[in-house]
Amino acid sequence: MTTLGHDAVQASSVPSSPLLPGRRPARRRTELGLIVLAAGLTGGLYALAGAGRAGALPANIIPFLIVILVLLLVGHVAMRILAPEADPVLLPVAGLLNGVGYVFIARLSTAEASAQALWSTIGMTAFVITLVAVRRARDLARYRYTWGALGFLLLLLPLVPGLGEDINGARLWIHLGSHEFQPGQLAELVLAIFFAAALIERAEQLSRGTRRLGRMLIVDPKYLAPVLLAWGLSLLIFLAENDLGSSFLFFAMFLGMLWIATGRSSYLLFGGGLFLGGSSFALTAIGHAKLRVQSWLHPFAHPDTSGYQILQGLFAIANGGLLGTGPGESNAAVIPYASSDMIFAVVAEEIGLAGVTALLAGYLLLVGTGLRIALRCEDPFEKLLAAGLSLIIGIQTFVIVGGVTRLIPLTGITLPFVAYGGSSLITFYILLALLVRISDTTARQGFPVLLAGSQRVQAGANEALPRDSQ
Amino acid sequence: MNRQIRLVGAGILVMFLALFVRLNYLQVFHAGALDANPNNGTRVVNEYDRPRGAILSSDGATLAESVRAPKGSPFTYERVYPTGSLFADVTGYYSFIYGTDGVERTYNDILDGSVQKTGFPTNLSDLRQLLVGGAQNITLTLSEKLQEVARKDLAGRTGSVVALDPSTGAILALYSNPTYNPSELAQLSTVKEQQAWKRLLATPGNPLSPGAYRNRWPPGSTFKIITASAVYDHDPSLADEAFPVLGALPLPQTTHELHNYDGSYCGGQILQLFTVSCDTGFGKIGLDLGARTLYSQARAFGFDSVPPIDLPDAAASDFPRPASFVGNLPTLAYSAIGQENVAATPLQMAMAAGAIADGGEVMVPHVLSYISNSQGQVVSRYKDKVWRRATSSATAAKMTALMESVVDSPDGTGVAAAIPGVEVAGKTGTSQTGTVPPTTDDWFAAFAPAAHPSIAVAVVLLDQGLGVQTQGGTVAAPIARSLIEAWLSEHPVRGAGEVVHADTGSVGSARAATTSAVAPASAVAPASAPAEGVPPIVVRATSTAPRATTTTNTRPPGISATSDTTKRSAVGARPPASAGNRDEKRSLPGEHQRTGRSSR
Repeated sequence: MTTLGHDAVQASSVPSSPLLPGRRPARRRTELGLIVLAAGLTGGLYALAGAGRAGALPANIIPFLIVILVLLLVGHVAMRILAPEADPVLLPVAGLLNGVGYVFIARLSTAEASAQALWSTIGMTAFVITLVAVRRARDLARYRYTWGALGFLLLLLPLVPGLGEDINGARLWIHLGSHEFQPGQLAELVLAIFFAAALIERAEQLSRGTRRLGRMLIVDPKYLAPVLLAWGLSLLIFLAENDLGSSFLFFAMFLGMLWIATGRSSYLLFGGGLFLGGSSFALTAIGHAKLRVQSWLHPFAHPDTSGYQILQGLFAIANGGLLGTGPGESNAAVIPYASSDMIFAVVAEEIGLAGVTALLAGYLLLVGTGLRIALRCEDPFEKLLAAGLSLIIGIQTFVIVGGVTRLIPLTGITLPFVAYGGSSLITFYILLALLVRISDTTARQGFPVLLAGSQRVQAGANEALPRDSQ
Repeated sequence: MNRQIRLVGAGILVMFLALFVRLNYLQVFHAGALDANPNNGTRVVNEYDRPRGAILSSDGATLAESVRAPKGSPFTYERVYPTGSLFADVTGYYSFIYGTDGVERTYNDILDGSVQKTGFPTNLSDLRQLLVGGAQNITLTLSEKLQEVARKDLAGRTGSVVALDPSTGAILALYSNPTYNPSELAQLSTVKEQQAWKRLLATPGNPLSPGAYRNRWPPGSTFKIITASAVYDHDPSLADEAFPVLGALPLPQTTHELHNYDGSYCGGQILQLFTVSCDTGFGKIGLDLGARTLYSQARAFGFDSVPPIDLPDAAASDFPRPASFVGNLPTLAYSAIGQENVAATPLQMAMAAGAIADGGEVMVPHVLSYISNSQGQVVSRYKDKVWRRATSSATAAKMTALMESVVDSPDGTGVAAAIPGVEVAGKTGTSQTGTVPPTTDDWFAAFAPAAHPSIAVAVVLLDQGLGVQTQGGTVAAPIARSLIEAWLSEHPVRGAGEVVHADTGSVGSARAATTSAVAPASAVAPASAPAEGVPPIVVRATSTAPRATTTTNTRPPGISATSDTTKRSAVGARPPASAGNRDEKRSLPGEHQRTGRSSR
C-alpha cells in the first residue's frame, strides 16, 4: 500500500528508467529474507518438536533445513524469472504454513511425514509448472467451459462406481493406482476459474435483471437459475458424497463470487435462505448429518462415540493453554485424524493460544494479500478470480478451525497448507501460483501506464493510495 | 467490485475474530473446566507417549525401560521390566489404568523429565539438558546379584528380605514373596492389564503390596534388640542383674504366667538371656523398664513413624502407646519380647540391626543411588542422611557383643548364620501367629562384619509350621547368612583379613578364633557349629509363643481375630507348665533338642 505509493513516487522521480531500478530486486529481496525467516522458524520448531518427543535434537535437522530452504528457493527463483513483480509475501507465508504443518505431521507419524515431504515437493513443482504454463491469468477465461466441465467431473468423480471409495462414511476419495486422491479440492479451484469467467461474462445481466415487486427491486427469477443450480449441486455433493465441508465450501464460494461480481445483496439473502433451508432439511432428515449436529451441540452426550473426536480435540486445545505444551510434548496421538482433519487441535495444544494466533494471522495475511491483489487488479476476470481464490483460503480455514473448536459443526476438510494430504497441498500450491501470477501481471501492467507520464502517475498513485490504505 | 471485495475481507476478518475469541475461551477461560472434565481421562496418556527414563540396578542391570511400542499400539512407548518380578517391590509398576507404585511413583517426575536435576549449567550439554529436558535415568543402590540370592533362598516361601548398608542407609536388597511381574500391569492392552490386576488382587498374600516395607508382623524375639538396648540406655543396673532361671514368669494383675517356649527354663544375666532368647527374662526386663521407657526406645529405633524411605506408602511399625499398658501390664511383658501388639516391617528390623551396626544411628533408608541424564551423565547423587539416633554408641557396642553371642556362642539361637572368618551379629525371632494349624513367623535380623559392618539384614518367613524346621534360627538365619556371604564376597570390608572379633569383648572369642583359623577351608563350618554347641546346654529358653494371656488390645495386622482368640484360649486352657510337664517334654530328647536349639 504505502510501498506502492512510495514506489510510484520513486518511479515518477526517475521517469527515464525503463526498468524501474530498485523495485524488482527489492520485492524479491524481501521475499528472500522472508523465506530465510520461514525456513529458520520451521527448523527451530522441528528441532523443538524432536527434542520434546525423543528428548534429543533430531539427527536430520541440518538436512531438513536444507530441504526446506531449497524447496522455497526453487519457488523463489522461479518467481524471479517468471513473476518478478509478484507480491513477496505469498510464497514465504505459504512455505511457513507448509513447514509448520510438516513439523506437526512428522511429530505424529514418520510415514505420513515422508509422504507429506513428497507432496510438498510435488506441490512446489506444481507451483512452478503453473507459473510456467499460465503466463497470463486472463487467458484461463478462454477455456471457461472446459474448466466448468472438468470441475463438475472432478466433483462427481467419487460417485463413479469402482473408482470412488467410501472413507468414514464420506465418498470423496478416488483411487488412482495405489493412491487415494480427493478430487473435491482440485474441483474447488477449477470451478473458481469457471465461476470467475462465467460470472464476469454475465455480470451485467445478472446485476440488471431485476423486477419491481411493490416498492422492492428483486432479481428476476430467471437469473436465479445459476444460484439454484449451484445449490442443487452442492446438495448433491452433500447427499451423495456425504461431504458437508466441500458442499458448504462450494456453495459459499459460488455465492461470494456471485455477490462480488454483481454487488446484489439479494443473491446473498436468497442463497443464504437456500442454504439454511437445505441444511435444516439435511440435518433433520439425514442420519450422517444429524449425527454431526448432535456431536456438535451435545458432544458430552456420547463422549466415547460420536462426541469422541470433537471432545479429544477440545481437551487438546484446552490443554494447550496460553503457551502450549511445547512441540512434540503432547499426547496428540489419541485424537482421531490428528494429522489431517484435527491437526489444528494438535497445533493448538502444542504451541498454545500464542502459536495458533500467529498461525491464524498467517492465514489472514494470505487472504488479505490475495484480496489486495484482487483490489489492485484491473482485469475483471482476474479480479474476481483472485477474490474467489482468497475466499477459498479464508472460508476453508474458518470452516475447519471453527469445526475443531466447536464453533460450527465439524466437517472433514483440510487446513490449507498445514494438514496432511497431497490433494489439498497440490491444489493450494496451484492456487498460490495463480495469485502470484495475477499479482505479477497487475504490477507489470501498472508500470508502463504509470511511466507514460507524470500526470497519470500522480493520478494512479492518488487512486491507489486511498484505496489501499483504507 | 472493490467494495464487495473489501466487504469480503472484512467478513473474513470477522470470522477469524470469532475464531480468535473462541480459542481464547477454550484455551484460557474454559480450559480449567475442560481439563477437569471426567471424560478427559484419556489425556493422562500424555506421559504415556513420551519416553520415560530407565531404572537400573547398581550392577548395571536394566530393571525398567521404555521401548518403542509395536506399530498400531495405542501408545508410542511400552514400559518393560526385563528382570520380571525380581525388583517388583522396588521399581513398582507403571500402569495406564492403575497408576504407579514404587520408584516409578516416587521418582516419576525425574523419570518423565518434568523435573530436571541440573544445577547451574556450566557447559553446553548442561544447557542443552536444561533447555531440552527429557527423561532421566535412575540407578538404584540394589544389585541384581543380591536380589537373586534373596529370591533363590526364599525359594518361593512367603516372606521378605531386606538388606541395607548401615553406614549409608542404602538398600542393598529388598525382595518379598508373593510378588508380581510389573510388566503385566504395563501392557499395551488395557484388557490384559485389567485381567492381570484382578488376578493379582485375588492371589492370597496380596502380591501387589511390597511386604518388605508395607506389611507388618510381630517381630518376636528380634525385638529384644530394642528391649536390651533400652536396658543399657535407661536402666544399666538391669544389665548386671541375674534373673532367676524360670520356666514361666508370673505376671502382675493376673494369675496367668508368661511361659517359655515348650516349658524350657532359662535365666541369668542379660548376655545369657539374649543368647538363648529367654522370654521369661526379657518379659521381666520389660516390666522392670516400664511402658514409657520401652515405648520411647522403640520410637528411637523408628517404631511409630513412617520410615523416610524413597518408596511410596511405607508402613510405620507399631509399638503400643504407654497409656495402653495402664491396667494391662501383662501385655507389656509380651510387648518386650515382640509379641502382642508389636508389629514391624522387615525394613524396620533391618534398620534396627543397622542402627546397632552404625554405632546407634539410623540412616535414612533409600533406594536411589544417582540420577543420570539421557547422555548417561550423572546429574545428581543421593546424599546420605541420618534419620535419628536410636541409641548411644556405647550401647551399640554392647549390643553388638550380645548379638555376636547369638551367632557364635554354642548355645546361641542363631548359629545357623555363622560364617567362617566373619563375625556375624544377629538375633532370631519366632512368633506364633496361628493355632490351627499352628504357624509361626520366623525372623532373623543381623549385620556383619561385627567390627566394620557393611551390611544389615532382616529376613522374615511367614506362616511357617510350628516346629523345629521352621524357626527364626533354622529357616531365616541361613538366608541372612547367604546374603551376607554374597555381599562380602564382592565387598571385602576393610580389615576383613584380620581377626574381626578383637574389639567385641570376651563373648565368643574362642569360637571366633577357631573359625578364623579354619576360614580358608570355610563353608562346612556352619554345619558343624551346632553339633559342637549342643551337648553342654542344659537350660533352654524360647522366645516365642506366649502360653498365657490376659487381655488383648488391638492386634497387629495380619493376625485374624478368630485365629488369635482360638490360639489363646486353646493354649490358655493348658495347665501352667509343671515340673512334670516339663520333664515329660524333656524326656523326649530329640524333640527337646530341636525346639530348644532353634526356636528363637
